[in-house]
Formats: sequence, structure tokens, C-alpha cells
Amino acid sequence: MKFLMITGRTVNQGAYVERKLSAQYADETSTCFMHQFDMMDLGITDRERVQVTGPCGTVVLVIAASEDVNPGTVFVPYGPYANHIIGGHTHSTGMPDFKSIEVEIEATTEQRKGVYELMEELGGVAYDR
Amino acid sequence: MIVKDVVCPFCGCLCDDVEVTVEDDRVVAVDNACTLGTSKFLGDHRLPGPIRRDGNGWKDISYDEAIRYAVDMLLDAERPLLYGWSSTHGEAQCVGVHMAELVRGVIDNTTSVCHGPSILAIQEVGHPGCTLGVVKNRADLIIYWGCNPIDAHPRHLSRYTRYADGFFLENAFRDRTVIVVDVRKTETANIADEFVQIRPGGDYAVLSALRAIVRGKTDTIPRSVSGVPREQLLRIARRCKEAKFGAFYFGQGITMTRGKYKNVRNAIELVDELNRHTKFTISAMRGHYNVYGSNEVNTWMTGYPFGIDFARGIAFYNPGETTAIDVLARRECDACLIVASDPAAHFPRPCVEHLAEIPVVQIDPYANATTAFCNVQIPVAVTGIDAAGTAYRMDGVPLRIRKVIESGYPSDEEILSRMYAMIQEVRSE
Ligand code: SF4
Repeated sequence: MKFLMITGRTVNQGAYVERKLSAQYADETSTCFMHQFDMMDLGITDRERVQVTGPCGTVVLVIAASEDVNPGTVFVPYGPYANHIIGGHTHSTGMPDFKSIEVEIEATTEQRKGVYELMEELGGVAYDR
Repeated sequence: MIVKDVVCPFCGCLCDDVEVTVEDDRVVAVDNACTLGTSKFLGDHRLPGPIRRDGNGWKDISYDEAIRYAVDMLLDAERPLLYGWSSTHGEAQCVGVHMAELVRGVIDNTTSVCHGPSILAIQEVGHPGCTLGVVKNRADLIIYWGCNPIDAHPRHLSRYTRYADGFFLENAFRDRTVIVVDVRKTETANIADEFVQIRPGGDYAVLSALRAIVRGKTDTIPRSVSGVPREQLLRIARRCKEAKFGAFYFGQGITMTRGKYKNVRNAIELVDELNRHTKFTISAMRGHYNVYGSNEVNTWMTGYPFGIDFARGIAFYNPGETTAIDVLARRECDACLIVASDPAAHFPRPCVEHLAEIPVVQIDPYANATTAFCNVQIPVAVTGIDAAGTAYRMDGVPLRIRKVIESGYPSDEEILSRMYAMIQEVRSE
């Protein structure tokens, strides 16, 4: 199903922002807030996983039911998960499209990755000491 | 020991009434700060010393070795990018600009991915702004548009707007109206007197409609504009015109969405229009505690607030070309120095992929997502905790950030100054 993805700050994302390698930061930034009507259409329930495909890639996120987003829109806190699928084009402004991004979402049984697993996928090396 | 009147180094509010309890050079308790500020003060998990990537692992190196590596990297590069700067003090930002000029690099700060578009709009039509104190004491109407202070600037509401007393307001809570405009019903929307929900990407149209109404062109407004009913638009416009003093705060909800700086320009022009009827101001909710400072420092040193390219030997500014995202996405830079920022977590994928292919040095107290792309990381003191310096609040007021503990870590300024001196030595040979 097609959705508009918006990203934004949340208090938890901010509180763990200096602790990017904590489980809490990963949990917060890999959450995809979705309206219950859309969840019914996709046949998924709370805390189940979805595969989200954007302009630059695919990432697995965890669904949280939310009445604060309209049907057709999903909200994902700022962070490495949302950015994993966002493109680098800025329309000559310096600012990429972080909000209102068209994405394709479907249910999945694949595991959600950790922050460093995502980084390794992009060519990084985990620092885990 | 309790240290009073400490400035919180997290968000652009720079709350200066925080009380920090210190025991044996450790922060053990924090009063008055919000969750965000408190977790920063109590933060642990600092990187113990400089590290260098060694194949698929890491090894410890000395500060001297780390600084040498960073200097050689910048000297060898043809087009280095020096990025970050918003979470450090002005003195360090200053050294950064000098260094960028000397190595003929591109220097950019996090503004380009937060309020860069706001600055572009301000460069076009100006900034009718004011300090936070004026809003606290005078404003009887607050608009939060595309921002969510409860989550991003938690004490903005208690210190300056919703829950603050005002010198010229008898009963501030009752006399102040708060309107929230957003695409989703945020926590802040829940404490507003009126919530306006617009469809994603609809900000420009709604702002234009409000401008038309304020100008008296009510007949041209259709039944609904981007999901907002006509009646609500008329009511909002009336409330704005009837206010004695209005303050419009906007966030990344309008800078990051389609239209970008044109949205902000439209918002400024709405405020301009409202000033024909009453007093109205508009300001950006700046995120990182010293992102405003990085604009100030860059501007007074180069004439431009962010995205400055020294390749020609003079300062050249062209957002969309000389901004970090573009330089990385075009795979143009061949080395990157990152100071007090975490682009691997906050940049779009193509930019991060390029970071993996070039030498990267990061100066940051904590291991973060960008660490995975570093050849060397140099840990430093956290400004506001174990280093002092100057920072600019979101309304442009400079404040002295205090040091509350002694940690033994060098400050950003110390590391950068040592690097700069070494580069100067080589370049003057
Ligand atoms: S509102 Fe901002 S500056 Fe104030 S305590 Fe919270 S994080 Fe710190």
C-alpha cells in the first residue's frame, strides 16, 4: 500500500540522541506510527513488523497504532531508520525531502535490524566496545 | 555541591535556570531542566580516548596521533568537507571557519538540514522577530506551526508561552491563546486552544489562504484548503487580527516539506500582512543549542550563515550546491571532518554511502552512528558540562555556557586550535 511518510522529533528520540547505540534509541527511531484503519487494510496488529520502501531503499520498521496520524500517512521519528530510505536530492535548497515522502508499505516477517547493522549495510564498521 | 543558574546545552531554548548537583566531578542530580536536558547532563558512555579504525576493528591511539591523522587528512584532501558545529561553542566554530579557509574546504553546519530554508526566506523578505522575553511578557496569541515544542523544546511552553506569566497580561494562562497547526495531532496540539490539521504538503496553500483573508479577499476562499475548513481559516485570521501581540513560531514541519523556503517566505509575508492590523512577530524554533551561534559566527566571519565553499580562496555561498547534503550526494568531497554532529544518523542514505568511501575524522564525546564511518574519532569535553563557551539562544541572545565539572577531556576549541596551528605551519612553509 502507498503511504506518505513524515518524520519528526519525539521526546524519546531526543533523550537518547547522545546514546545512539542504546536499544531505546533503536526502538524509538524504528517505530512507524500508523492509523488503525490502515493497519486493518494491511492485516497487521500493533508491534508487528512492516517493510517500508522509499526512494532510496528498504527498511524494516515496527508498527505502533496511533490516532494522531491521518489514514494514508505514517510518522517515523528522525533517525537512521527513516534516513535509510530517503534520497539526497535537495531541489537546490540544501534540504532533502524529510517530510511527505511517498513510500510503499507491506507486512513482513523479517527482523528489524540494529543501528550498527544498518550502518554496516552502508559500508560502516560497528564500534561495539 | 549545587551549582545554580547553569545553562542547559541541549536545545535552542538555552534555559539558564538549571541547578546541577555535582559530587566528585560527576553530575548526580539535575533540577529545573526537562527530560532532554536532564538526560544530557546525566549522560554517560563517553568514548574514553581517541580510536582509529583498524581493518574491521578498532584500536586506541593517543591524542597526538589522532590530531596528526586529522591534520594530514585535511592537508591531503582536494575538497574537504567540514561539517557539524551546532552543538559546540562559538569559540570552536571560529577556529573551524579559519581552518576551512586555510584548507580551501567547504564548511557547513546542521542549519542546512533544519532551518536552512528559513534563512533563505529571511534573506529574501527579512525577519520580523523579537526576543523570547518580549513574547513572554506581551504576546496574547501564540501560533506553533509545524513544530512540536512539547517533544522538541519542552520548556518553551513553560518559560515563554502557554504556562508562563506575562508582565502585561493579567492572567497569562487565560489571556493567552495558543493555536497549533500541524499535519498530525501532536502532544502540543493537545494543549492548544485550537488545533488546525492540514494535509501533508498543504502549508503553502493554507498560508496563502490566510494572507488572502487578512487582506479582505474572503470570497476567493474555497470550502476547504488542504483539509482545513473555510470557517476555521476565517476564525484563525480573525483571532490573529484581534490579538494585541501575536507570536508565530515555526519548525521543520514547513522547512522540510515540499515548498521548503517558499513556505517560510509565505509565513513571513503573512506576518507582514498582520502587522498592518496589530503587532505580530515570527521566529524559527531552532533545534541544536548553538545552531544559531554557528550562523552568527559564520556570518560575521564570511558574510554567509552556512554552506560556505572556500575552493576559490574566497567565501562562496550557494545553498543546494555548497551545502553538506549536496556535496556528499554528488560524491564530491574526498575527506570529511565532523564536529559535534551525527550525520550518519541524520543524513539521507546516499550521503552516508559516500561517507563510507572517504576518510572521515569525527570530534565528538560519544560513539554514535557516524563512528561506524570514521577512520579516527577524537573524544572531547561536552560544552556546558565539562567545557565553557559562548552559545546563541534561538532568539539570537548570546549566553555564556558554564563548565560544571572537570573531566580531563580537552574541549573542541583546544583540539581544533592544535590542528589549526599544525596546518598553518605546513601551509606557511
Ligand atoms: S527546554 Fe531545551 S534548553 Fe530548556 S531544559 Fe529542555 S532541553 Fe534544555
